[in-house]
Amino acid sequence: MNAFLQSTVYGLLQGGLLALVAVGFSLVWGVMNVINLAHGAFVVVGAYVAWQLNEWLGLDPFIAMFGSMAFLFVTGYLVQRLLVNLVVNAPVFITLLLTFGLDLLLTNGLIMIYSGNYRAINTSYALKSLALGGVRVPVGRLLGCLLAVACSLLLVSLMKRTRTGLAIAATGMDRGAARLMGIRARHIYALTFGIAAALAGLAGAMLATVGTFSPADASKYTLFSFVIAVLGGLGNMYGALAGGLLLGLVESWAGQYLSGTLVNAVAFGLLVLVLVARPAGLLGRPFYESRLEV
Amino acid sequence: MAAESRVDVTGKPAAAPPTPADEPDGWRRLRPATPWAIGAIAVLAVIALQTQLYSGQVRTVSTVLMFIALAQSWNILGGFTGYASFGQVAFFGLGGYSTAVLMAKAGLSYWMALPLSAVIAAAFAAVIGLPLLRLRGHYFAIATLGVAEGLREIVINVPRLTGGGAGISIPVVGKHASTAYLGNDTFYIVFLVVAAATTVLVGVLSRSRLGYGLRAIRQDEAAAAAAGIDTTRAKVTALVLSAFCTGLVGSVYAFQQVTIYPERLFDVQITLLMVMMVVIGGSGTVLGPIIGATALQALSEYLRANFTEVHTFILGAIIIAAVIILPQGAVFFIRDAWRTRRLPLLDNVRTYRL
Amino acid sequence: MNTPTTPALQIRNLSRRFGGLAALSDLSFTLAPGQILGVIGPNGAGKSTFINLVTGHLRPSTGQVLVHGADLTGKRPWRVAAAGVARTFQIVKPFRGMTARENVAISAMYGPTPRRSKRAALAVADEALERTGFTAAHTATPNELSVADARRLELAKALALRPRLLLLDEVMAGLRGKEIDRCLELVHRLREEGMTIVVVEHLMKAILSVSDQVLVLHQGRLLILGEPHAVLSDDRVIEAYLGQRYVQRKAR
Repeated sequence: MNAFLQSTVYGLLQGGLLALVAVGFSLVWGVMNVINLAHGAFVVVGAYVAWQLNEWLGLDPFIAMFGSMAFLFVTGYLVQRLLVNLVVNAPVFITLLLTFGLDLLLTNGLIMIYSGNYRAINTSYALKSLALGGVRVPVGRLLGCLLAVACSLLLVSLMKRTRTGLAIAATGMDRGAARLMGIRARHIYALTFGIAAALAGLAGAMLATVGTFSPADASKYTLFSFVIAVLGGLGNMYGALAGGLLLGLVESWAGQYLSGTLVNAVAFGLLVLVLVARPAGLLGRPFYESRLEV
Repeated sequence: MAAESRVDVTGKPAAAPPTPADEPDGWRRLRPATPWAIGAIAVLAVIALQTQLYSGQVRTVSTVLMFIALAQSWNILGGFTGYASFGQVAFFGLGGYSTAVLMAKAGLSYWMALPLSAVIAAAFAAVIGLPLLRLRGHYFAIATLGVAEGLREIVINVPRLTGGGAGISIPVVGKHASTAYLGNDTFYIVFLVVAAATTVLVGVLSRSRLGYGLRAIRQDEAAAAAAGIDTTRAKVTALVLSAFCTGLVGSVYAFQQVTIYPERLFDVQITLLMVMMVVIGGSGTVLGPIIGATALQALSEYLRANFTEVHTFILGAIIIAAVIILPQGAVFFIRDAWRTRRLPLLDNVRTYRL
Repeated sequence: MNTPTTPALQIRNLSRRFGGLAALSDLSFTLAPGQILGVIGPNGAGKSTFINLVTGHLRPSTGQVLVHGADLTGKRPWRVAAAGVARTFQIVKPFRGMTARENVAISAMYGPTPRRSKRAALAVADEALERTGFTAAHTATPNELSVADARRLELAKALALRPRLLLLDEVMAGLRGKEIDRCLELVHRLREEGMTIVVVEHLMKAILSVSDQVLVLHQGRLLILGEPHAVLSDDRVIEAYLGQRYVQRKAR
């Protein structure tokens, strides 16, 4: 029972971080119908920026994460404005290939600069843990998870309350109509991509604090984002949060009973099952037609 | 393939010359037998080329031929119907692992294992095809990706059968070897045969009733169904054919490698290279995948040899540039350029940008 | 309509809901073979939903669709096509990247009387295009066509199926006077050959001159079904569909 409780707590904490990894991915997919294969690379870049700031300036990762966010926001904005916007109307796999190229560029750029070695940001508190009734709660993960949940909720409320947020949502629903209303779609798209990248950067900084990272992790985070976005439903921010927590739990529980990487097989099995049975996600309804009715 | 009997690869005219617009692809201006003659000459030329190569180069060209076959396989579903399988490597890995297991554990000869592996891949495609092909666009892409990743994890986790993450070796020497190793020169020919066979299949398909049905599905699935096309059956057939070919290539690759690992046989990059090659060359055409595979693989080899440290980085940049400049593929680009007598390099950007 | 022959189209209690919205509710009627039925109604009345339900592009929530006695309820579109039902789409759906005759040839290759050889299919295609009065070259691609020819291509694709029941979803929208007349002529000729035709149209003149029966849909419900002139003089129709302009004209 205690082991189950422990793995549940661990799964929820991990799930919160995974939700933060995926929330931007889901946003971009929902608003632009673009699947960003470089999303995991953004996460890893965020980790490296935080790590670098920590190395140079001794910044605490919870401060350095703002650097990651700023850097990735600018990167994301420019990538969308200068590259992805050029092929937004092309067939779906064109954007997949474009972002795949971007993923190669970023991960190999990181390997060239930093080598492929695993790194971590070490803090005095991250590895300490609180004991709550026999269950260990690692402080770093708790902080990261709380921050992740807070950011996801903040994003939801910003999307609902601000002019820009509404403009993003409107563009996602009907780009043509949004443009007629005077919304500058090019800017809005770039802004959306920038926000998504910034969230990925934040997630990267958090992940670097609670564990190790290397450029090779990029594809793993992209795949996690897929699974979570699909579980939660596209463009549905609460869905991403729920999907992240669910994936964290499933992985953590399955890890108790299944050997090694079979846990991943469970995640992918879940992905395919949900897609086939409920392509709109467990919570949401899709922005884009997911399958034929006939 | 009823149409296959009409086709005469030796170059004799097989049918009356159709009016120009009958042909959907780059062969527009040519008589129907001409492409087959060119194909036959190309095959002979590749055989002749072999005598001029060092052993290292033989392997390089074998890889190009392998990717031509893989790109053509992807083309059968992705190119014709627009259903972009991002898990195509699942069939490659399944074909490879079937061969390895059948040879190492069941002691089958390679020439038995090869067709069986392709059939296993095709059967797997038939099973997953029905539920997955109801999904559209990105959903289909992701579901197939999930299948491939899941399959890899399963292969890793049944070590008794597959050797797990440590890989599995096909016995190629000694008394346990069911078939002796073929050697680089023979593999060159085998890959050539597979590449030529998949190309012929795509060529036949593109002129066939099924080919028209698949292209109609790509343009508008509702209208295709209204025209009487059983879209489910057409799509599943295309996926099964495509998986059969991919499994075949995976089988040859596994035997060539002798020892195979799940990380390589289910590498998502192989899928992405297939997609890239077809898109760059011209999807849904016969010639496109050949152009795309040759160009991208040659470029990749060149970069690997001359810029070892940064070659993947440069490849990434080239992919980005190619996708932006040539989203419709080289074949269509050249055709349009020929027709309009100008190089409309930035027209694509004008078409697809926001 | 108690004819001894099997009706060409029999609709029983057909309904379709989208979430909370009832796009079509409880539609029932019978159409005898060789008749032309005009279907009118304001936007959102459920006209296209009706066609989609018959051809299997949508599944009915409840109800039944019988064509020449065969139950086609919820059957997939190609099964419906194989049963001799053809349709056009309100928003034309050509297969881009193929020539006009290839577009039409696809219907001939598949459908109830499939022609497996490409040459035979192309011959059928040329004939179908001729019948519709297609003016462009048969080798033109859909992007090169005028609005009228795009409509004719859509019609030719349906004709190449050699249907017994033909459903036309606003094929005359965007056509001009002479073009409409030619299209109406064709509809009459097809009926003389024994085809049963359902014409969904906005053009009052077209519906009046061509239909044996007119069915008026309003907010997903059958408002009235009857002879064209009887329907048009019905007050409910004038109020629901034709609006002020017609009322005033009538008063004058």
